[in-house]
Amino acid sequence: MEGEHDVTRRDFLKTAAVAAASALPGVSPPAILADPGPSDAVPYGMIGTGTEGCTLLKFLTTIPAGRCLATCDIYPPNLKKGVETIGTNPQTYVDYRQLLDRQDIDAVLICTPLNLHAQMTIDALNAGKHVFVEKSMFFKEEEGEQIRQAAAAHPKQVLQVGLQRRSSILYNVAVEMIRKGALGKITFVCAHWHRNSDWRRPVPDPKYERLINWRMYREYSGGLMAELASHQIDVANWAIGAEPISVVGTGGIDYWKDGRETCDNVQAIFEYPGGQKLVFTSILSNGHYGFQEQIMGDQGTLEITIGKGMYYRENASKASTGTAEEEWWAGATVSEQAAQKGIPIFPEKPNGQGGFLDREWRYAKRWLASMGIYEYEEPHDPWWSEMADFLASIREGKPVVAPLELGVADALAVIYANRAVDTGQKVFWPKKTGLARTRAAGIP
Amino acid sequence: MPSGQHLSIPAPKMTFCAINQRSLRSVAWLGLWLPLLISAFAATPLRAEQPSVRYEASHDAMGTVFTVAAYGRDERYLAQVVNEAFEEVDRLDAQMSNYRPESELWGINRNAARRPVLVEPRLFQLLQDSLRYSEETAGAFDITVGPLMKAWGFFRGQGRLPSRTELVGVLKRVGYRHLKLDGAQRQIQFDAEGIGLDLGAIAKGYAVDQAVEILRANGVSSALVSSGTSSLYALGAPPGERGWEITVRHPYEAEKVGDVVYLKNYSLSVSGNYEKFFKLSGKTYCHIMDPRTGRPVENMLSTVVLAPRTTESDALSTAFFVLGVEGSRKYLAAHSNLAALFYQPAASKGRFKRVFLQPASFSLPPEALAEFAP
Repeated sequence: MEGEHDVTRRDFLKTAAVAAASALPGVSPPAILADPGPSDAVPYGMIGTGTEGCTLLKFLTTIPAGRCLATCDIYPPNLKKGVETIGTNPQTYVDYRQLLDRQDIDAVLICTPLNLHAQMTIDALNAGKHVFVEKSMFFKEEEGEQIRQAAAAHPKQVLQVGLQRRSSILYNVAVEMIRKGALGKITFVCAHWHRNSDWRRPVPDPKYERLINWRMYREYSGGLMAELASHQIDVANWAIGAEPISVVGTGGIDYWKDGRETCDNVQAIFEYPGGQKLVFTSILSNGHYGFQEQIMGDQGTLEITIGKGMYYRENASKASTGTAEEEWWAGATVSEQAAQKGIPIFPEKPNGQGGFLDREWRYAKRWLASMGIYEYEEPHDPWWSEMADFLASIREGKPVVAPLELGVADALAVIYANRAVDTGQKVFWPKKTGLARTRAAGIP
Repeated sequence: MPSGQHLSIPAPKMTFCAINQRSLRSVAWLGLWLPLLISAFAATPLRAEQPSVRYEASHDAMGTVFTVAAYGRDERYLAQVVNEAFEEVDRLDAQMSNYRPESELWGINRNAARRPVLVEPRLFQLLQDSLRYSEETAGAFDITVGPLMKAWGFFRGQGRLPSRTELVGVLKRVGYRHLKLDGAQRQIQFDAEGIGLDLGAIAKGYAVDQAVEILRANGVSSALVSSGTSSLYALGAPPGERGWEITVRHPYEAEKVGDVVYLKNYSLSVSGNYEKFFKLSGKTYCHIMDPRTGRPVENMLSTVVLAPRTTESDALSTAFFVLGVEGSRKYLAAHSNLAALFYQPAASKGRFKRVFLQPASFSLPPEALAEFAP
């Protein structure tokens, strides 16, 4: 982490010069370079083949590094959908422990309701499997330590959390821009995830209500905070380079008064050690702003979401005493463009016929190159990349993109934020390990 | 979710409204610039034994607007089911877009000239279907027309006239025979550089079919699902009706009725020269390319195809537009579940010739209806 020092233009250029010589760290070439033969592919099982599980299975169909041998779900229509999606005629299970008993399966993916994540992860690690577990990693505070212990007992097994922005080239480039000083000193991240829907899935038979709409019930779910904020808290942690130290929040069931137990309107403010704040806002009654993170520093702003990122330069009002060579930054067209209309991180490919798009593309490329960044597009859907990364970690020892501690930090932030909403009190992170202390705001 | 960039040039937004004169029937107008009008909810109250709720929603995807009008007992339930269907359309858009570098289709286009590329099973099936349509129509339908669309300036919405030498060069990179599908390995490979897949003439119809599957699987038995003004599927019929009444627009005048079709458990797609075109030196060039000549099709105003699946009607409305009336006869004669309507330009200005083709052996599956109003 670069910490809090103000990045001056001179620093920026120095960093850029050094960085230009090296490839972008944190962004690896495509995980799968050569197609393995069937015997070389990682045999895996998918536990939970609902919407998320099937989304991953669909991407897995085009990743030869893995081979699906088994699927598991307790809801028959989902079990059927999973088999149809993967198309490889996997063995199906209703009890995940039977799937874990299979010695020919090396890895499992866990895409079940949140309250089941920890036990399944621990059981899978103890059964000798590599584990991919969806976010949020765990449901109850103490489960983080339990997963840590299981992971420590099986250090050779891969454990990856489903925070797929970590596998996105766009997000990696954005964070690299931050590291290189493009935003200056970060003070604030604003993350919103807004929808206009009841967030329910259709239930053909009322007896399946709690099974299908588990996100509505506090017995299984951390609501919007766990399902949506988890992605964005991780982005803020990544951008700021730290975990929060406290959170305040409020929420309510304000619009969809339909028997649900989780909030349809949550607002939380997290504070980081350097004083940076993260605002997370999520509602289910207006979808205009969609989902996005806005990362703000004294030199610029990044607006980023899956598939699109924009950079806005703050007006270059600070006087420069630098040399002419350094003046390009303040004077270049890219800077004017950045202040006024923003620069797309991955600009639309020009048509080669001149004109605005071509110019923008050239400026943006030049500017990114000045920071040592040579990635100009997202070559795969981040979901695909996250699956490819998981299999590459198993097969090739590639560092895990979203490892245990990232998942623990993320899940704890979700749990503490929900606690803040529930109690109406400010929640502080524990000093080292152990349980968080809740205390009234303002009392030391 | 913002719709971003798409498979084709965005169509204008559609709105819904009632037409009182046709209050007992469900009416959908097909044709660009015209609102899709669905009116079964209009004046008269529904009969007691019928499902009581009508739910409508629209959603931006694939560069157009997908619309569902569905009947059922519970509006909330219908909303949830329709939402699931739209989520699936979004997933297909993300997979098949030729505007998004991260899409699977873009990945195929990026890599398949250099090595075989593994394809997701359902997309592979769609590619196989596309090739079959190409073979059966002697290349009139072709998912490799992308370079041609670009050469004529349709990719970014500005028309241009390519030179003859340019066209000769572009045509070397067009043609379904450049695609090699390996069913056993589920892989695709191109036999030359510069080939690119463009599913613009079939993906929207496919997405309609997939949306319909989700409605069906969740117990919805009466719905009209459309993508823009070009493709639709009529699931069941509105309460108390024989089928959904679909109005096809007049080939010249968007406000006028061309034909009226009644549909139940059947699909209809339209390809029209009025959808996208440009004018140069008084001549109009439409967006539908003849992949065999490399030039926009002339002498056709619009084609309408009725088929059991929307994937099929979508692909064939384009193919028949290219083949023309005579060229389409043979195909239709061999397929007893298809019907096609052609609007061709007539000699005098503002007039057109209407040709309806239906195989002598035309037959429908049980529970289906597909007939033109007299």
